[in-house]
Amino acid sequence: MKALTANRLIDGEVVFWRQGQWVDQFAEAELFADDDPAGEGAEGRAKSQPTVVVEPYLIDLTQSEGLWAPVSYRERIRALGPTNLNHGKQAEGGASVEALRNAHGAARSTGRVDLIKRK
Amino acid sequence: MYRYDQIDKDMLADRSEEFRGQVARRLAGELSEDQFKPLRLRNGLYLQLHAYMLRVAVPYGSLNPDQLRKLAWIGRTYDKGYGHFTTRTNLQFHWIKLADAPDILDALASVDMHAIQTSGNCIRNVTSDPYAGATSEEIDDPRVWAEAIRQWSTVHPEFNWLPRKFKIAVTASAKDRTAAKTHDIGLNLKRARDGVLGFEVMVGGGLGRLPHIAPTIRPFLPATRLFSYLEAILRVYNRHGRRDNIHKARIKILVAALGAEEFARQVEAEWEKVSVSADLPDTELARIRGAFAPKSFETLPAVSEAFEAAKLKTPAFARFARNNLKPHKAPGYAIVEIALKGIGDTPGDCTAEQMEVVADLAERFGQDDIRVTHEQNLVLPHVRLDDAPAVWTALAAAGLATPNMNLVSDIIACPGLDYCALANARSISVAQNIARTFADPERAELVGELKIKISGCINACGHHHVGHIGILGVDKKGEEFYQLTLGGSAAEDAGVGQALGPALPYDRVAEAVDTLVDVYLRERQGAERFLDTVRRTGVAPFKEAVYADVH
Repeated sequence: MKALTANRLIDGEVVFWRQGQWVDQFAEAELFADDDPAGEGAEGRAKSQPTVVVEPYLIDLTQSEGLWAPVSYRERIRALGPTNLNHGKQAEGGASVEALRNAHGAARSTGRVDLIKRK
Repeated sequence: MYRYDQIDKDMLADRSEEFRGQVARRLAGELSEDQFKPLRLRNGLYLQLHAYMLRVAVPYGSLNPDQLRKLAWIGRTYDKGYGHFTTRTNLQFHWIKLADAPDILDALASVDMHAIQTSGNCIRNVTSDPYAGATSEEIDDPRVWAEAIRQWSTVHPEFNWLPRKFKIAVTASAKDRTAAKTHDIGLNLKRARDGVLGFEVMVGGGLGRLPHIAPTIRPFLPATRLFSYLEAILRVYNRHGRRDNIHKARIKILVAALGAEEFARQVEAEWEKVSVSADLPDTELARIRGAFAPKSFETLPAVSEAFEAAKLKTPAFARFARNNLKPHKAPGYAIVEIALKGIGDTPGDCTAEQMEVVADLAERFGQDDIRVTHEQNLVLPHVRLDDAPAVWTALAAAGLATPNMNLVSDIIACPGLDYCALANARSISVAQNIARTFADPERAELVGELKIKISGCINACGHHHVGHIGILGVDKKGEEFYQLTLGGSAAEDAGVGQALGPALPYDRVAEAVDTLVDVYLRERQGAERFLDTVRRTGVAPFKEAVYADVH
C-alpha cells in the first residue's frame, strides 16, 4: 500500500492526501494499492497545487498491529513527530499513534528515493 | 558589545520588508518553490521534516540579555517554547510557520539580530572564543576581529555567491575553544617578539564528507593586513573552487588538491594585487575596539570567603564549581559555564524560561554578557566568585546546573533525523542514551575529559570526525546504524578520528561507549585523558573489546 504526503506551504506541517484534501494525521490518509494508478494520479494532482503543498510524494506502507504504517523510519518520524519530545503529532495519542511507534523499519520509501534522485 | 548603527538598522529593516514581500508572492503563487527556496535560505529559513526551521545568527556567539529575552519571546510566541543552540553558535527554531517568518525577522531586528547568511554559499557566522575578554590566556580580544569580519563579510558583493559555504574562526589563546582548524579559515592571534599583533592563518579545514584539518599557510600575518589577505584567499577560492561538484566545492578540497604550499603561493601572488586600501583603517578598527573595551572589574581578593564556604557546605555546588567554573583574568571573578546538557535532555535545547533565567543572571551578576559555545552550551563570562553560589542556585532551579562540562555527558549532537531533512539517523536519542549511562557524576568525573560528538549524517554538523569518540549515523537498508571513530579532536591538538570497526545498531551504541570507557580506565597511564590514551595505544584494544561479542 501507499500514501501520499507533503509539507503544507504556509506552515510546513506534514500532511497526507485524502480524496482531494490534505489532512494532518496519517491515520486519516487515503491508502492506495501498490498497483492502483490512483496513487500516481493523486500525486500528479498534488503537484499542481504549488501554493498549497511543497514536494508531494508517495510513501510505501507496511502493516503494524493490524494497521498501516510507513515502511521507512524517516516517514514514521514525519507522521509522529520527533522522538526526543512528545510534542509533535504523536501528542494526540491513540491506537494509530501506537501502531506507528511500534512499526519496524525496512527500506526507505520509494517516493523519498525519487526525490533524492531528482535533486 | 558592538551596537548596530543606523545604517545596520536600516539595512535589517529593508531586508525584513523585502522578505515579507517575497513570502507574500510565494503564497500568492507568483514565485515557484524553486524560485523562492534560495530567497528563504538567504534569510536562514529551511523546510525540515515537521515545519520550517529558522536559523538565527548569534555573531561570534555573543548575546546581551535583551537579545536572549527576545529569543525566548520568539520561542514562546512562534515556536513550541524553546530554541536549539547549534555547533555554529547559532540558534535554531524548529517549529516555524512560513507566514510568521517576516514578523519574526522584525522581532529579531528590534534587538539587532537577523538570520542573514546563516545559509547559502556565502561567508557564515564567525566563530570566536566564548571566553573572550575574560580569560588571561588571550593575546588580544578576538571579538574585535570577529566583529570586523562580520561587517566586512555581510552582503559582501564579491563573496556572496562562493562555490560553497565559508566559515571563519578567530581565536586568541593557546587553548583553542573555537575548533579553528576545522574552519575554512582559522585565524589565531599572535604577538611577534617585537610586540606586533598578527595572525597565524590556517586555511582549508572542514568536516563533512571529506574531513581536513587546516594547514597553516602563513605563520604570521600582521593584523593590519588582515582584510587584504582574506580578500586574496577568497579570490583564489572564488576563481578555482569546484563549482561543478558540490561534494568538492569547499576550499579544503582546493587546498588539498593544490597543496598548502602552492595554495599559499597563489594567495601571496593575489595579495600583491590587492591594494592596502582593502585593509581596515585604524580609525575604524579603533571604533570597533571601543565596543569591546575591557569591563571594569572590582578590586577583589583572589579568594572569596563566601565561595569557599559554599563549597564546604554544599557538595553539589563544589562539584559544579570544579567542573563548570573556569579561571577569570580578574581576581575574585570566574567564568561560569552553563551546560545545556542535562542528563536525558536534548543537547543544545533551551526553553524560553531557561533563556529568561540566564538573561536575568547575566543582568544581575554577569555584566550583561552571555556567550554561546560551539559545544552547544552557554557561558556567563564575568561572575564574581562571591555571587557564584547565588548563580548556581538559580541555574539549578531552572535545570541548568548539570556539573558536566567537558565530561562524557557534555555531548555535541546535531538535530539528526528527529528534525533534519538531510539526516539518515537520529543523534539526539543516542546522546540521551549515553548521558543516562553516565548519569552518575562521580563516575563521569573519574573518567575526566571526554568529548563525544554525534552527527546524523555525513554532513557532520555534530563534528563527529573530531570527537574523542565520534559517532556517525548511517542508513543501512532503512535501519539506523552508527559508525564510531576514536582519537579525533577539534582543539589545538586537532585531528580526525580513526574508524573503530563496522557500524553498530542503534541499541548497541551507549553500551559500546561504556565499553570504550572501561578500556580507557584500564589502559590509562598517569593523568592521561581518554584522547591521550587512544593516541598512545591506537584503536586496537578498544576495537577488541567492543567487537568481542559480535559474531
